[in-house]
Amino acid sequence: MNKLYLWVGVFFFTCVVCIPIPAMAGEPTEMIRKATDRIIAILTDPSLEGPEKAAERKRLVREAVSDQFNRREMARRTLARHWQKRTEEERKEFIDLYGKLLEQTYLDRVEGYSGEKVFYEGAEVDGKYAVVKAKILTAQATEIAVEYRLKKTSDDWLVYDVSIEGVSLVNNYRNQFNSIIVRSSYKDFIKKLKAKVEKQ
Amino acid sequence: MRNFFWIFSFSIFVFYPFQTPSFAAERAVSSISFQERAGYGFLIPDLDGSYLVAVVNSNGIDEGIPATGRARPLSLCQKDSYEQAEDEEDFDDIPMGEMEGDFIRDPFESINRVFFYFNDKLYFWILKPVATGYKKVTPDQFRVCVRNFFSNLTMPIRAVNCLLQGKFVGVGSELLRFLVNSTAGMLGLMDPAQTALKLEKQDEDFGQTLGVYGLGPGFFINWPFLGPSSVRGTAGLVGDMFVDPKGWIRLDSGEWIIINGFERVNTTSLSIGEYEALKKAALDPYVAIRDAYYQYRQNRIKN
Repeated sequence: MNKLYLWVGVFFFTCVVCIPIPAMAGEPTEMIRKATDRIIAILTDPSLEGPEKAAERKRLVREAVSDQFNRREMARRTLARHWQKRTEEERKEFIDLYGKLLEQTYLDRVEGYSGEKVFYEGAEVDGKYAVVKAKILTAQATEIAVEYRLKKTSDDWLVYDVSIEGVSLVNNYRNQFNSIIVRSSYKDFIKKLKAKVEKQ
Repeated sequence: MRNFFWIFSFSIFVFYPFQTPSFAAERAVSSISFQERAGYGFLIPDLDGSYLVAVVNSNGIDEGIPATGRARPLSLCQKDSYEQAEDEEDFDDIPMGEMEGDFIRDPFESINRVFFYFNDKLYFWILKPVATGYKKVTPDQFRVCVRNFFSNLTMPIRAVNCLLQGKFVGVGSELLRFLVNSTAGMLGLMDPAQTALKLEKQDEDFGQTLGVYGLGPGFFINWPFLGPSSVRGTAGLVGDMFVDPKGWIRLDSGEWIIINGFERVNTTSLSIGEYEALKKAALDPYVAIRDAYYQYRQNRIKN
């Protein structure tokens, strides 16, 4: 009887030890970790500090970020049912404008980096989709749950959505854009988006 | 017999919210039905002019998952995707339910937008300047302590709602946290339960409890002063007032305003810039906040 307990114990122990390893060391997590480390390195680089280096810093961060996102996938998911009605030129125009908007938003947020720490809590991979879960710990001891959603295209895992405390970026923009398109028209919406991007 | 009648009507009242899909199918007979690429569906007119959508995907029948949801009338009546089914970039590869909108209904949008404008001005004209001044004269650590103190006081709200949701570990964790933080943490100013004992704060409230019980959010309400909420969220706030220790002490309205105002200023001082960032990133800040509120709450209920 005691032996049985031992074996059950060993079984569960091996389960606990073995299962997290492939999940933790997954490709998508590594990809996110690498990109995040690279961005933090740029932001904390003493040779890039100060307002006169802001442009240079932004350029480097933009470079580090833009390779990690699948812009077309993001755009497609954001326009959702309106995507199918668009011509290829309209799609390209939207991808470009939306990318710029996201870039500005992201760069603004990242500029405020003040020593937040990132912890990776593993990934769930389901075919060509993956979710990487992370926690950001702020200087004020607040934890923020972040999820990166990735899709495998050809050989790379690329991010198509980021959700913060359960609020998905793509969902949020989809609802905003949809409400404008439904109320007025796609043309009107693009005009608004253009004005927004150019204003900043 | 009479008892039976009461139990029967009571259970209809209780279970009705869970049964919308099957009720919907009955009502669908008299409503618009439409055909989609690989399936069919119904639009069932609802009270407020929105439509309840039930889509049955013929591929999905073997999995037995019909999709239901709500949509504004336009969103599906206008569908012309039937002809474009050959589009190489079809949405077939996208997991079900991820694409077509999950959003909160907003029948009182015009009133909500007025209050949104009001709250926006309240923030920029009063709250933000006061909080910025307060931030200048107090160290970060002090403001975190004040936040911890108020948060420690509202332990009963979290513990009771953990209990109502059957999260018994959470109840224990909250009680232990209160004990440790009120003593070793100097009346809750510090949070040694988190830092030393790794006891996480359980962010549960009555709105989430109602959600766990299966109640939907109702519709969106943007309250003046309080900000974004829903029917469910508002019912939750009222419910939580009964277990909030701040409600147990008799306060006159002046004291109440001072205490709550101070807490609000303190909280704001720790998050200056977040609202601005959200607004700057948004094409329609009102819709952005409405959706963020809804998604955030749905996520809290799941956890």
